[in-house]
Amino acid sequence: MPAAIRNTVDRLDKPSAYYQSRTKKRKYDRDNEERERTPEEPAEDPLKDAATLYVGNLSFYTTEEQIHELFAKCGEIKRLIMGLDRFNKTPCGFCFVEYYTHQDALDCMKYIGGTKLDERIIRTDLDPGFQEGRQYGRGKSGGQVRDEYREEYDEGRGGLGRAIQAERLKEEEEYGKGR
Amino acid sequence: MADYDQRPRGGRGGGYNNRKRRYRDEEDYDRRPQRRRYEEPLPVKVRKQLLAIAESPLKPVEEEVGVIAKTVCDNYEDAELRNSFCELVVQLVVEQPFKTPFVAAVVLVVNTLKSEIAADVLARAAQKANEGIKRGEWREVKLLMKFLGGLQGLLEGDGIFSVLQDLLTKAVDLQTENNEETIGPELVKIILFTIPYIMASSATDVQEKANSLLENTDIIASEPHVLQSLVDPYPGNGTDEATAPNGVLSLLQKQLQNEATSGWELVCLPRPWKVLLESDQVDPLALAPKHTLPAIIIPEVVNTGPRALFPELYFSVYANQDIETVPSMANIASCLLRDALVDTINILDYNRNATSRFLIDIDCYFSPGTFVKRATPFDRLRDLAEGKSTWKPEDVAVDAVFSQLFQLPIPEHKLVYYHSLLTESCKLAPAAIAPSLGRAIRFLYRNVDSMDLELSYRLMDWFSHHLSNFGFTWKWTEWIDDVELPAVNPKKAFIEGALDKEIRLSFAQRIKNTLPEPYQQLIAKEKEKDTPDFKYDNDDTPFAQEGKEIWGLLRKKSPEDQIQPIIDRIHAQAIEMNLPDPLVASTDAYMTSICYVGSKSLSHVLSSIERCKERLLAVGAQSSEARKQIIDSVMGYWKDQPGVGVNIVDKLLNYTILSPNSVIEWALAKEGTRLSLPYVYEMVSATIGKVTGRVRQVVRAKNVPGQLPEVSLGMEQTVERERKSMKDLFQLMEEALVGWATGSKDQAMQSGDGSTSDEAMIRQWGERWLRVFRRKFAVEEAWFLETERVGVEESVAGVEVIDGVGVGNGNGNGAVDGNGSAEVEMVE
Repeated sequence: MPAAIRNTVDRLDKPSAYYQSRTKKRKYDRDNEERERTPEEPAEDPLKDAATLYVGNLSFYTTEEQIHELFAKCGEIKRLIMGLDRFNKTPCGFCFVEYYTHQDALDCMKYIGGTKLDERIIRTDLDPGFQEGRQYGRGKSGGQVRDEYREEYDEGRGGLGRAIQAERLKEEEEYGKGR
Repeated sequence: MADYDQRPRGGRGGGYNNRKRRYRDEEDYDRRPQRRRYEEPLPVKVRKQLLAIAESPLKPVEEEVGVIAKTVCDNYEDAELRNSFCELVVQLVVEQPFKTPFVAAVVLVVNTLKSEIAADVLARAAQKANEGIKRGEWREVKLLMKFLGGLQGLLEGDGIFSVLQDLLTKAVDLQTENNEETIGPELVKIILFTIPYIMASSATDVQEKANSLLENTDIIASEPHVLQSLVDPYPGNGTDEATAPNGVLSLLQKQLQNEATSGWELVCLPRPWKVLLESDQVDPLALAPKHTLPAIIIPEVVNTGPRALFPELYFSVYANQDIETVPSMANIASCLLRDALVDTINILDYNRNATSRFLIDIDCYFSPGTFVKRATPFDRLRDLAEGKSTWKPEDVAVDAVFSQLFQLPIPEHKLVYYHSLLTESCKLAPAAIAPSLGRAIRFLYRNVDSMDLELSYRLMDWFSHHLSNFGFTWKWTEWIDDVELPAVNPKKAFIEGALDKEIRLSFAQRIKNTLPEPYQQLIAKEKEKDTPDFKYDNDDTPFAQEGKEIWGLLRKKSPEDQIQPIIDRIHAQAIEMNLPDPLVASTDAYMTSICYVGSKSLSHVLSSIERCKERLLAVGAQSSEARKQIIDSVMGYWKDQPGVGVNIVDKLLNYTILSPNSVIEWALAKEGTRLSLPYVYEMVSATIGKVTGRVRQVVRAKNVPGQLPEVSLGMEQTVERERKSMKDLFQLMEEALVGWATGSKDQAMQSGDGSTSDEAMIRQWGERWLRVFRRKFAVEEAWFLETERVGVEESVAGVEVIDGVGVGNGNGNGAVDGNGSAEVEMVE
């Protein structure tokens, strides 16, 4: 990170390790391909002016209004995009919140990320900006990937992981047949 | 995407295969080596030691001081270590003020061993102070002065006193010129907060200097500032509880004078440098070389800095308890602790977890014995031995956070920061913090009637947000008697407002389950409905047929020309029925239908407004009655979930379908009881926030240097126009509110004589509103004058305009105070 001066205390308004590891990885892949052609050139940080946040670990039942009520505490919201199940078009536990200013988004990282909404600890991450298509879950069954194989029962997110539920259902059916 | 797809598929297997990573927390993506393979480089090690100084109650801090100083001096030839140490010292004192006395002690010890390093630190601190003075970063200047004050013992001659004297001279000049200015008092504040740190330092022979300085600060410090009443959190509102506000400056001046007469005991300040005195027979501090303090210059013209300055009042939620859990205002510890806490809180807003840690650990940073043991229950304070401190560290910490949450006109950061700080502290040490919060809430609730209206709104917003982080549990039984109070009573308004906010963050049924029986009636059945009823479904509603038809057409996204005939029908019937304004009747049917069609969610209603924008704009343009009807219809449809309505009104303002004036008229013209509704206050302050934000935006745009003359002329006209409409808007409010406050409106509306208790209450609400919006107007005017003044000076000096000079830059303070840059859509 090209931070100018390192603070004596870590900052909470930095992109998550998740985001960084993904960009690092992509960069690495790209570097392998075109190592010769692109010499070291300081890449423009896509989050430099980011006013959008990815918000995760929402309950499937959390409404736009609830999200609005909480996130407006950091500034007026320009746009709110609910994450939807790719097939059912129902909320699947994430959203994008877009503010008017970068500062509001940073403040949201500092003051709202990691606090509770609808009695769940939510996660926020700076996001380079919403693009059509990103509102849909990328899991096999249409929701978020993390809800496929989740072993813990999470009432707010449809119980067990969907793949596990499907497996159990299949096992039960087979058991029935066998009998 | 790719890294998910690459993972092996299939059922769950045992062991740590790659797929398992998907269940880990984000932190684990950042893989760290399992074992440290090399010894840490020395600079890193020393950095860590210095950063953590005094943090652990288990390590004697005097030992830490010695170890760090010795390591640095023993490795004097390590340039990297020397450099990073000196750099960190000056950074640490401006970022973590609690540690200043300990860091100063390290430098004092260093000076006895390798005085060149101490000289380097002095040079850097002085340079940083000079930069801070230039930029008007007065807090940073204060923090560096406190640090240098702690080093007075190694300074030649007058040392830091000469800088303080210069500051005082400047302050006196400024105040003589204009006693309304606020930089002078700020400079005096720096002086007064530096003195105790000098007096607790290793310096000797300073009493006389301090006493004479103190004599001279008195004239500025003891005079209450003219703007003080503007920021009074407890104006009284006609109740008996009005207390004279305590200005921090005059309080501190008095406390310091007391200390002077009692030999500068300053019991709460730590003196870690004393370790040197005990170890040796000769005093190594006295033998160590002395340094000349590098020049610190106060320029001719001083800067307000990034935030507007207002007089500071001492706010406490724990004053007047039967046992002292925080230092009394007579004790200098009250100001010293508060000052260090508030700086820590406001500097470290970028890591609320670290800040909460500091709050919980406050007892590590002051003299042992300053506080009672952490988490000692209030009732047990009585059993403590005579002469022992009864100050609860958690009360002192929480009190400081509240002082910021209830800071007028606005605190440094968004209100939600202070919410998050209390949440985090409560999570870190629930047994200590939760009971303290409980007592604070009780105090605040008890005095909610005499509190400034803006603050009682902040209280409600914080309270509901806080509960939402802790399962909505509160001992509601305590306030059961107040449930029966009339709706216009401030306590009842608080309860209803808080419950509404809780519901907005959750849902009605959930909140209902947290409430004792008597409160149940406050949450009507209708609040539990996701979709409110459509009044035109009831055939008794006038124009029921037409309303249903419009709804049907809107739902099918029919073109406007199919809707027009139905609107015409309403108009014709309305004329037949001798209704005063046919447009009002048709607007009601149209807007209510839009709400009903879009009732599923905010994005639904936004897209239906988007589709109906043309007609709404045309209707709104026709008459103020029609505009008010739009608001009436929205708030009528969402009467049981007013938060949704307020939100829609906000969007309608962005679309310029509504004007700010129409919101004010709707809120203040007709029913006095509206003044007691928190969501009406919310709607109005959001509207005002938009307008003032817009003015600031255009003023800043105008002041950007290097514009073409014709562009800047256009900008100036825009500024003038926007400022005029802002003034008109405040004037409109003033007239309406004076009407309510004096009762003249009441009499006109309800032919009341102000004798019933409700009417008296409404007059009080009028006064409370007036105070808030007069202050907001004053703040805006002050901001404008200051910005223009700086703009002129800077263009003369040829310096680039500092972005966002003034109050509340980037300080949206959530929905209520609005946000300057949110007017992008309004501009278009």
